[in-house]
Amino acid sequence: MKKKRALITGISELAPHKTAYGQKTLALLAESSRLAIEDAGLQKRDIDGLLVTPPSEDSAFMWPAQVAEYLQIKPVFLNMVELGGASAAGAVARAAMLVEAGICDNCLCLSGGVWDSQVFNTLEGKMSVMSQAEIDFELPYLPMGFNTGYALIARRHMHLYGTTPEQMAKIAVDQRFNALHNPLALFNQAPLTIEEVLQSLLITDPLHLLEIVRPCSGAAAAVVSRASSDMNTHRSVSVLGWGEACTHNSIVYSEEITISPVKESAQRAFAMAECGPADIDLVSLYDCYPITVLITLEDAGFCAKGEGGSFVARHNLTYQGDFPCNTHGGQLSMGQPSFAGGMSHIIEAVRQLRGEAGIRQVPQNRLAFVNGNGGVMSTESSLVLGRTEHV
Amino acid sequence: MCDDQTRIYYQHLKQGELWLQYCLNCQEHTFYPRSHCPGCLDQQLEWRKSQGQGRVYSYSIIHVQSLADDDVPYIYSLVTLDEGVRLATRIVDCSPEAVHVDMGVEMVVRAINGQLMPVFKPVAGLKSQA
Ligand SMILES: [Zn+2]
Repeated sequence: MKKKRALITGISELAPHKTAYGQKTLALLAESSRLAIEDAGLQKRDIDGLLVTPPSEDSAFMWPAQVAEYLQIKPVFLNMVELGGASAAGAVARAAMLVEAGICDNCLCLSGGVWDSQVFNTLEGKMSVMSQAEIDFELPYLPMGFNTGYALIARRHMHLYGTTPEQMAKIAVDQRFNALHNPLALFNQAPLTIEEVLQSLLITDPLHLLEIVRPCSGAAAAVVSRASSDMNTHRSVSVLGWGEACTHNSIVYSEEITISPVKESAQRAFAMAECGPADIDLVSLYDCYPITVLITLEDAGFCAKGEGGSFVARHNLTYQGDFPCNTHGGQLSMGQPSFAGGMSHIIEAVRQLRGEAGIRQVPQNRLAFVNGNGGVMSTESSLVLGRTEHV
Repeated sequence: MCDDQTRIYYQHLKQGELWLQYCLNCQEHTFYPRSHCPGCLDQQLEWRKSQGQGRVYSYSIIHVQSLADDDVPYIYSLVTLDEGVRLATRIVDCSPEAVHVDMGVEMVVRAINGQLMPVFKPVAGLKSQA
């Protein structure tokens, strides 16, 4: 493997909350920034790049400058990364490019904010996350937002490949087991069974309530730094490869809705990292719904197209299992902060690769595959991360 | 609903008809209505009346709706028209138990929450097996 110069040197993650709990988005971002910079062993003045995901409440106008002002940092490169749930992985990929190109030394990647639980329950709220074409040609039929988009994928996958509700539910069940050992997770009190998932309220068939991610407030941050010879890298994680791809905005216009742009983004990430799915020790896959994980596993090449259902049934996806997946509990048990940046998947992969995952630590932890997913499997950002001592 | 193409689309619907744009360069229909062909980015799109025949590509029966002004359950669906385009719609005159992927359907115009929209109902017998 080629030596890569982009390292994740610092991470932080605030505990998700079901409400805004009196906080403001900038306050959450400031707190996660402080913790990540401290974790990296850096000073605030060392940060020269800022990549931030969109706000959910504040005006997005000049958002990177708003954040830089609040944090009182003076970046030489700043940008808002708007790829929906792929934003955090996309931010880390961009930060890796910036430090490899010698433009920045330390890029702060920030994601999160407060969530008003009523945001999507009004017509205005629904329209605020829709394109004009979706407003004109989808909204009149009253889909239940993103839920229905993923339900359409799940239904067609069931039709084409015989995937069962039990197989999809098992993903949520295994992830819940992981969450029981994560003090940060929103849903870490009680285990879940496949029967409980399938007996929970059917919302937009075939999706049940317990298969649908819970939006919440929270924030997380990662510092991506350029490796230097005088650096103590024993806790750092290398960004070995990344890939990005987009094939549509609305799922209506995807050529085949059961095939996602993960095919392209993962292939690119693996090619850059000079490794493949068989080399990976753990995966951290964006999980707004179980079907998202299932499609990602197929398209990233962990199993053949159509075999995702039997793959998840056959493997133990917990941190104790033969295929550790979303060892923090995934978003399904962790909660999905703000506009769903997907940073928690990156944070957990870094913890595991550092050997700092505590009771959830997996024994094999050299290489991790991380995937961020935006919209209804519209925009994908894949990362291959590795322990720095390994490269 | 502001641009000209969208307006034309909905004007045809008021007559009970579904019209689609067709690109003379690409010799393909396109949906949704737009200014430029997504195949070649040419503006030479002409309107053609759809036969209104198609097949269910996927569907979801919606049991819970956060906007409380609609009757659940209803069948939200993606339908692929014989002209080759796919659109979001609803399946009507069909029980949730009867709908299935690849089912033959035909277009009817119905009001949903007061707005005339193209929706699809099952075709009788084997008419749409072609
Ligand atoms: Zn054309």
